[in-house]
Amino acid sequence: MDELDLLKKDWNKKETHDKLSAKDILPMLNKKSSSIVKLLFYISVAELFFWILINSIPYFLSDSYRERMNMVYSDSALVGLTIFSYAVILLFIFLLYNSYKSISVTDSAKRLMETIIRTRKVIKYYVLYNLIMAGVSMIIGVYYSLHNDPEAVSFIEKTGDKGMMIIIGLSVIFTGVLVVVIWLFYKLIYGLLLKRLNRNYKELKKLEV
Amino acid sequence: MKNELEQNFVELLEKHQNIIHKVCRLYTNNYDAHNDLFQEITIQLWKAYPKFRGDSKFSTWMYRVGLNTAITLYRKSKRTITTQDFEGVSFKMKSEEYDDTEEQQLKVLYKAVHQLNDIEKALVFLYLEDKDYREISETMGISEVNARVKMNRIKKKLRTILNP
Repeated sequence: MDELDLLKKDWNKKETHDKLSAKDILPMLNKKSSSIVKLLFYISVAELFFWILINSIPYFLSDSYRERMNMVYSDSALVGLTIFSYAVILLFIFLLYNSYKSISVTDSAKRLMETIIRTRKVIKYYVLYNLIMAGVSMIIGVYYSLHNDPEAVSFIEKTGDKGMMIIIGLSVIFTGVLVVVIWLFYKLIYGLLLKRLNRNYKELKKLEV
Repeated sequence: MKNELEQNFVELLEKHQNIIHKVCRLYTNNYDAHNDLFQEITIQLWKAYPKFRGDSKFSTWMYRVGLNTAITLYRKSKRTITTQDFEGVSFKMKSEEYDDTEEQQLKVLYKAVHQLNDIEKALVFLYLEDKDYREISETMGISEVNARVKMNRIKKKLRTILNP
């Protein structure tokens, strides 16, 4: 008889825990779940709102920002851009909703892990999209300033190519650092949250090799 | 209507609660963590219950939800993490501890099983519950052949832990 058979003989004999009554079980049904899926859901909603706010607050709160935006983009380009960004947000909401719906605790362990990982990827792409857009807007903003902003133009006239290089250099460094910091912060959150899931998923995948 | 559903569910759970206790016993090391995981599995079962069609046995369905919660959904609370090692001490088996009495062997075996990783524990759990390889493979989402191969490796691993 091998070790596990010895264990099996004993396994079903033992009652290891006090038996709970219906009275003990009933209140549990109304307790809040602390599962990673629930947390992932809260984070994804927070991500959606965070980026919507980041993108819209300056436009509505700051007159100078609005003026600048209106100058950089012609009316039709601004309308097009706004429609595009809201379409992207709607698309992500749709994708997130779909992937949350596909998470089912009654699936096999492997499939459950895959659906959670897929959901996480949707959020990842949403953040990535926003970071790329932030980078692109920064480039457009700097390009525009260098050609049209009176302050920047006079600064460049005074300092020549060196001044231009300084402005471009600082903007690139600033944008780069910002994007990397946000990305790392994001990786850290999901890394911690899904560490165990990823480890177990790898372990299951290993069985297939 | 909701009350009736609730009542049915609680009755079934009360009857089959030992399955959840056994999952908790394998994946946690202390009383508080056990209760924590028990509660989370109960919540997950209750959330999924409206979709339970009865075409599988309630107990079979519980195995799946219970293991999925333990392996994937459950976030270990801080107090569980700090008591990760079984009984507070990292387990190191010495050959002289492994004496011939069955009780001693069992004690050592339980400790050894606690040292396995989450996936290995799930396979051992289903094996101990007398599930065949078809059910093990369906629950885990791996092929039957791979389930068998892995189970043999686990047996070897346990043997190595017990006889280093």
